[in-house]
Amino acid sequence: MTSISEFLGINYIVIAPTLALLLTVIVLLFCTITISTPMYVKKYISFFGILLTLFTIFLKFGLFFTDGVSSYFSEKILLDEFALVGNVLIGLVLLFTFNSFWQTSEMIENKTTEALILVLMSASGFLLMVDSENFIMLFIGLEIGSISLYALAGLNRGDQLSNEAALKYFLLGSLASCIFVYGIALAYISLSVTGVFDTSIAISYIGPENVPLTTFIGLILITVGLLFKVAAAPFQAWAPDVYQGSPTGYVGYMATVAKAASFIVLARLVAVSLSFIIDQFDLFFGAVVILSVLAGALFATNQTDLKRLIAYSGVIQSGFILSGISSGVYGVSASIFYLITYIIQLIGIFTIFSIISGQLSSDFQISNISGLFKENKYITITFSIFMLGLAGLPLTSGFVSKFILITNLWSYERYILVTVLMLTTVAGFYFYLRPIWVAAVEKTENAVERIQVKNSDKLLLGILAALTIYFGLLPNTLVNITRWMVEGYL
Amino acid sequence: MIAIMFSLLIIPLSGALFVFAISNSRKELFRPIAIAFSLITFTQTVYLLFGEYAKTEFTILSNFDWIQSYGLSLHFGLSGMSTLLLVLTSLLVCVSLLSIGKDHAESKGFVGALLSLQFAINGVFISGDLISLFIFFEALLIPMYFLMGIWGGENRRYATIKFILYTVFGSVFIFIGTVYTAVLSYRVNGKLAVDFETLASLILLESQSRTLFLLFTFGFLIKVPIFPLHTWLPDAHVEAPTAGSIMLAGVLLKVGAYGILRVSIPFFTEGFLAYKNLIAVLSVIGIIYGAIVAIAQIDIKKLIAYSSVSHMGFVMLGISAGGFLSLEGAIIQMINHGITAGALFMLVGFIYERRHTRNIGDFGGVKISMPRYAAVFLFTSFASIGLPGLNGFVGEFMILMGSYNTYKVLTSFAAFGVVLAAIYMLWAYQRMFTGPIKYEENETLDDLNSRETASIAPLVLLMLFIGIYPNFIESFVIQEASLLSETIAMFAELK
Repeated sequence: MTSISEFLGINYIVIAPTLALLLTVIVLLFCTITISTPMYVKKYISFFGILLTLFTIFLKFGLFFTDGVSSYFSEKILLDEFALVGNVLIGLVLLFTFNSFWQTSEMIENKTTEALILVLMSASGFLLMVDSENFIMLFIGLEIGSISLYALAGLNRGDQLSNEAALKYFLLGSLASCIFVYGIALAYISLSVTGVFDTSIAISYIGPENVPLTTFIGLILITVGLLFKVAAAPFQAWAPDVYQGSPTGYVGYMATVAKAASFIVLARLVAVSLSFIIDQFDLFFGAVVILSVLAGALFATNQTDLKRLIAYSGVIQSGFILSGISSGVYGVSASIFYLITYIIQLIGIFTIFSIISGQLSSDFQISNISGLFKENKYITITFSIFMLGLAGLPLTSGFVSKFILITNLWSYERYILVTVLMLTTVAGFYFYLRPIWVAAVEKTENAVERIQVKNSDKLLLGILAALTIYFGLLPNTLVNITRWMVEGYL
Repeated sequence: MIAIMFSLLIIPLSGALFVFAISNSRKELFRPIAIAFSLITFTQTVYLLFGEYAKTEFTILSNFDWIQSYGLSLHFGLSGMSTLLLVLTSLLVCVSLLSIGKDHAESKGFVGALLSLQFAINGVFISGDLISLFIFFEALLIPMYFLMGIWGGENRRYATIKFILYTVFGSVFIFIGTVYTAVLSYRVNGKLAVDFETLASLILLESQSRTLFLLFTFGFLIKVPIFPLHTWLPDAHVEAPTAGSIMLAGVLLKVGAYGILRVSIPFFTEGFLAYKNLIAVLSVIGIIYGAIVAIAQIDIKKLIAYSSVSHMGFVMLGISAGGFLSLEGAIIQMINHGITAGALFMLVGFIYERRHTRNIGDFGGVKISMPRYAAVFLFTSFASIGLPGLNGFVGEFMILMGSYNTYKVLTSFAAFGVVLAAIYMLWAYQRMFTGPIKYEENETLDDLNSRETASIAPLVLLMLFIGIYPNFIESFVIQEASLLSETIAMFAELK
């Protein structure tokens, strides 16, 4: 006898991280509307919520090791290696960016709770997104996450750039969502499936050579919706403006969480749904990769705004990550490694930006960090480590990730991609070294004035920089984890 | 022996960290502490010189797993050529720490960067596989970037970026070559093994060998630098601070030639045989071109920079001829050029600190005010020209002798390089030091003080020692040169 709940596969542990975050949001909401709670209590509540989320993710590991890969909630929610790694990534992004977004929220008068709720809501949405087996659940997760991010971008209402960022992000993001839904619809029309696994089963059933064109278009549109979120060219136009305009303290979170979730989902999509027809997407993915790295390198070279520079560098990194994802199972594992190390560096860089420029500011010129070395050596050194990591210099994790990725690409015989990616790396040295130069040497009018660095920020930057070096020297553990992720899909 | 090998990495790095840890109020301590650390390294390298691996071919002594699931591990080892270059590196670090002026010596960043540079260079010379070689080859750039970028001359930003971009562009090819080799090795061994022992047993098709040789050699030739790829060098030298120039000319250029001797030729010999004529022609063009351009220079530092292009051309000519004698000459010339170019840059640094100009025309008759300095400069110039009895002669003579059998016409042209060297060095000496004093600033210049004398003396003694008794230095390279030339001869016969 199986009860209904067992039959439907209802198991609350699987969605416990999402629920934990929603619970935190509700508690925060009640605290605001019923009794006037002091700020520090809200801080502890939200921090405790994040710790609770991490704990529930830990519980999910236990469930995974007893039950293995399985679907829950009538095949809406999936528990597999991608979901687990995605959960851990989003949980850690929340933990590592907590300092920045808390300080930023604190500065926004009368809207602190609102801001916190938006952050936590978006994380719950992205958690749901990486957990979902079903395209429609995926869409719901994506929308919960994205809409909160649109609002976060425009939270600093007095700032014109912030408003512009929010509007652009919203308009273009909604367009991407439309495309995504349209893709789901087309896939459903042609194959009558809406699931990640169902699609692959349906394709193998009718044979890869008989797949109708509508399915291809549908799957490509779904991919485009996700590529928009990771800012791969030619869907990158929003990224620089949004990074530039949004309050600096939020950008680190906004950039990393969307990238983490979307790439994990994209990796699963490629490893599972497209596994039989991946050859036919070569041209599409190849074009996106080459466009991304070339456009990113071209635009990044002349940027004077640091946040825009990092945005365009993000376009390049997206190209790198996508190149691995699109070229086979081991490529996927290399890309996940790349993604993790990139996220670590990105969080570090934006934490430093918000320390220097103030959490709420939008514009942040390269000349704004001149004289940083004189003012604070610790920040300059960690900043240099992160930038060198992005550039891919040996002894940092950036080198290892590039090395593994390129080795995999080469073994899949993608020589053109390798050539283009490596040439971009050379160009990268030009614009990644420039900010370090300005911070260490140059003297300009708008040099860094006295900056206050909290001990928590120092600790965080220390951890992130140490991780960047650690994964550069001893990458073994993380490589094994990313290999373990894909072992089931060989 | 293994412990000493690793301490070559650990001691400079801990020295750098130690200097960073000292508070800025004890500025006068930076230099003595750094010198103490570099003296430890120097003693260790000298000990290695009399150890069991100083006269052998490359022997891997130690390895550890790096990324197990890819079968990647890092290997470290020693050989005669590496040991010699390690000695040269640590000696040059020692003397350049001693020679730098007060404002550099009292900056912990400068001293620390120099020690971390030593760490990276030592890493290159003890690497036993392509990955660690590449890691240290790239890691060189960080301290160099700061040395040139922060303490460089007026136009340093342009020069630094040019230097970095050229090198990184070259290392991209080395990177792709490493990846390609690793994938080829994976197909045979089932893991991405790229250590030198595995590579020696790897059998490649001729096309693969050619491609890989081109990839690796292109990257290394930028660093050497060979004729059309040399344009970063004069800019970098002019803008770099004195210690940076000493390390750049003394060791960093050798890293390129070392890579070719260590990786390109032994493992991709068929490729070498296919392209050696091209390299020989380019290096002879480099010899003549570098020398002629050096004649026309008005900046003494730029003159020495172009003379480096010319001298490294000899090294590349010796390598591309591929005979026993010429290879031996090339390795010895690498060491000799490290000593003489290092000494020349140091001397230029001394006079720049006094006069804040490097224009040859701003001097004249300096011999009267600085007799000792002029004598040392003349001596070093002679060594650089290749006067018999001094070290420059040994290497160049061996290269010319060894290459003549293979490239009769090219070697005859290359011999003119020696004559041209005499023209540019002696003419510069004549304009700077002889005759009456033209400008009154030059009348009151101080002669070498005891610190400066102490820092130049070891180099001068070495020039004389190697010139008189070249057997000593030759004994370390015989084994490797003969192995290389046998490999080349074997492949040439197979063809």
